[in-house]
Amino acid sequence: MRKMLLIVIAATMALPLFAMGNQDGGSRTVDRYDNTYQVEVKTLNYFLLLDTTAQRVAANTQDHLVEQDRFGRFIPSLAESWTPNADSTVWTFKLRKGQKWVDHTGTPTTYEITADDFVEGFRYVSDPANGIRNISSVRNVIKGLYDYYYTLVDIDGGKIQDKTREAALATFGTVGVKALDAYTVEYTLTQPTPFFLSYLIMDLFYPVEKAFLDAVGPANLGIAKENMLYSGGYYLSDWQRDKLIVMTRNEHNWDKDNITVRSINMQKVSDPTVELQMFMRGELSSALLSAEQAKALEGSPFQDKVYMTDLTSVTFWWHPNYQSPNPEFNAFIRNENFRKALYYGIDHEKFLSLDDQVNPKGLIRSTIIPEDQCFDEKGRDFTDYPGVKEFKDRGNPYNPAKAREYLAKAIAELTDGKGSIRGVTAGPVDMKPIADFSVDGKLPIQMVYVHTTSSKSTTEALLFQAMMKDTFGDDTINVVLGQFVDNAYREAILPLKYDMMWSSFRFAYADPMAQFGRLVTDGGFLNMAVDSSKKTNTLFDKTLYDLVQAAAAETVLSRRYAAFAKVEKHIQDKAYIMPYRAGGGSYTISRMVPYTVPRGGFGVTRFKYKGMIVESQPLTAARVAELRTAFFEEFNKLTAK
Amino acid sequence: MRAYILKRFGESLVTVFIVIFAVFMLMRFMPVEGYFTREDFTEMTAEARQVYLQSIGISGNPFGQFGRFLSGLAVGDWGRSITVYPKTPIASIIAEKAGYSLAFGLSAIGISIVFGLALGIAMAQNKDRLVDSLGTLYVVVVRAIPSLIYLFLIQIWVSGILGWPMVFYADVPVSWILPTVSMALPGIAWYAIWLRRFMVDEENKDYIKFAISKGLPRKKVMTGHVLRNAAVPLVQYLPTQILLTIAGSLIIESMYSIPGLGGLLVYAIRQQDNPLVQALVLLFSVLGIFGVFLGDILMVLIDPRIKLEGTSRTGDHV
Repeated sequence: MRKMLLIVIAATMALPLFAMGNQDGGSRTVDRYDNTYQVEVKTLNYFLLLDTTAQRVAANTQDHLVEQDRFGRFIPSLAESWTPNADSTVWTFKLRKGQKWVDHTGTPTTYEITADDFVEGFRYVSDPANGIRNISSVRNVIKGLYDYYYTLVDIDGGKIQDKTREAALATFGTVGVKALDAYTVEYTLTQPTPFFLSYLIMDLFYPVEKAFLDAVGPANLGIAKENMLYSGGYYLSDWQRDKLIVMTRNEHNWDKDNITVRSINMQKVSDPTVELQMFMRGELSSALLSAEQAKALEGSPFQDKVYMTDLTSVTFWWHPNYQSPNPEFNAFIRNENFRKALYYGIDHEKFLSLDDQVNPKGLIRSTIIPEDQCFDEKGRDFTDYPGVKEFKDRGNPYNPAKAREYLAKAIAELTDGKGSIRGVTAGPVDMKPIADFSVDGKLPIQMVYVHTTSSKSTTEALLFQAMMKDTFGDDTINVVLGQFVDNAYREAILPLKYDMMWSSFRFAYADPMAQFGRLVTDGGFLNMAVDSSKKTNTLFDKTLYDLVQAAAAETVLSRRYAAFAKVEKHIQDKAYIMPYRAGGGSYTISRMVPYTVPRGGFGVTRFKYKGMIVESQPLTAARVAELRTAFFEEFNKLTAK
Repeated sequence: MRAYILKRFGESLVTVFIVIFAVFMLMRFMPVEGYFTREDFTEMTAEARQVYLQSIGISGNPFGQFGRFLSGLAVGDWGRSITVYPKTPIASIIAEKAGYSLAFGLSAIGISIVFGLALGIAMAQNKDRLVDSLGTLYVVVVRAIPSLIYLFLIQIWVSGILGWPMVFYADVPVSWILPTVSMALPGIAWYAIWLRRFMVDEENKDYIKFAISKGLPRKKVMTGHVLRNAAVPLVQYLPTQILLTIAGSLIIESMYSIPGLGGLLVYAIRQQDNPLVQALVLLFSVLGIFGVFLGDILMVLIDPRIKLEGTSRTGDHV
């Protein structure tokens, strides 16, 4: 209530400012972009990107071998060309000559960016002592990496005693990253990987100048602006911890003509209301808005300038716990009919209206793998493959009659006909401090929905509870609300103290394995390996496991996608997880012209500001809609739709 | 006095040791999963997790870790942050941030004392009149309304009227004013209401009535006797208040984007940044304990009736 009051007060007081700010109808291009960040960056070590602020800085101050253009196509960056071998297991990149590292004043150093810098960068991330935690993304991709890395881990952990660390480090030559000459770098992979370029835009594949790294010390890389050199379109000209990050155009970058904005200023502003006010006063170039803020702007001169951002490659899904300490839920969630009852019983559109009151349908994503990210050799989108497309086109699956039908079947299968759940005895359930309750082994089934203590999360939880009641009534399912304070993974997922919650993964690289590997084969929760202490040797679903393994072994993209489409279909048919929302789709108000910056669903691409156009006046939603239509017309032509 | 100082110093050292030992050990009860992100934890093997924990100094015997912490302190090494600002030396984090908190905190205390004491004196001297009522109204408003409401109004509304920035910029002097004033508002109310109360109490005492009846000028009685005696209880807390300004203000620093120490301890605890928590607890406890100690000394200097050695006070009273 207090929050809403503050928003309304702020919006009311700002009205005269809007009016003043809009007297000048004409907009012109400016060469400075001001935005904010809410949580301070932990480190600016560009090999260790722990938050989106660090990703924004790294994406703009360092260049990779390749990058993506505004349609998501891979184009040359520090490499001017590349060649994969016939089966895509060896990739050779030719670097641009004469590119210099610059320092925090933008002055070129004596160090040239060479193939060695990419090898040294990979040497740095491959040493567990440097704590680069994202290495697991490529441990099975780069030849020799797994053995090299885990030998070091075992030496550090005392498991290997007959080999010194130095001796292990000296074997880096076995890892498939080599400088063939000063301007040629070669990656050798464990298996044919036609989508390898999408790995190269991860933080793990940045270059580093070894002489400089040795001079500052590996532990000090990225803890101050002076402790880094810059290979990207910008350099870090100012960094005041918890206050300000300023990136200034690198006039010596190979692509400086396309670095359209001279200065990127990022201020730490913790309060969204202050952020909106600053935008209104012209102090910021863009601001993200909550649904409440967007509503508060109705009737103001800024009403027609609020629009929704595009969807991202992140997918949110309903995430049931298959190892719940709640015996009633545990008995039911293993039943396919019960899972389908949940699948058809949740009104996704209503749930998403909390994020977008106007067009909640626009936020729905009903596939695990996002659209517009994975294309086969003929340009066909993975989500258009048979088996996936039916789910893509499904939209909101909400169907209460069907849901009740499935629940009745589940109840018939799992109870004795008098309401007692077979094999479940009465007793307390150990979910403290998330929830404190007992089960009686009878209907209604107790189901714990966990959420954070934030007002939005609490509203979601209450809505979920109400939806279950509306669909199934009081006598079959009873939703118990449980709260965690801060960290869903630590407080709820890891100790398995939940029955239902929503969850998501970022999409790491351009292949369905990016998600299915983590869900099924690499210790994912669909393989019941959430917690090593509770790990079972029994596969959750051997058919699913085998399907993923078989798909991962396919190296021709069309065959690979067809095989992964079976995986997606299997998971969705069984309703193991239930995708419902795409990331993004947030209210925003901005002076930045959309579709001018690089586009991509993985790596650091979406944080790049190269090519960005910023105007002096906020864009109207109508103009953004026109730009969007024009962009997707062009995009669809390119992807052969 | 010297013996007292030595004794208190020894006691303070023991207290600080107990505080940091307790905090150090409590942090070791936190689950190790907290040092990882969700994806890290699932994707790292048990060995890789162990190596990571070793690399940030978390694994092993906690007493050994405590010993290393103390020996590091002995040579001026506060250690490095592990999760809040990974690998950054803690000394440099504190050095960067403490200056902002001190500058704002001390300015706010200065304003609080000057305006708070002036208001308190004015209220006491005009008891039950308009000035007193207005002063009371101010105190009630500041203390009864949730501070976020009026702080927010000041930030949005006043900055809008005056055309000042909404957040702090080190190189824009005018942007320092609103956060400093906002920080001083509760302090002004605190000094005003307590000084008024102590002055009114003193005014009703026999020695004041006696002094006035003997014909001493009222002004002299007020400044030389009432105010001096009324100030004694307030002075005791002043050193602690000044020293702990270094801890910063959680709300104001956050609202105005001031990169001070406010909120850092809470954030470090939530992030399980053991070395940073230990360093901040050590710093704040030393300053707090030292502040109380200084407060006692200051009271003695201001009020000659108070003796610290614990000797008889017979005959000291007026």
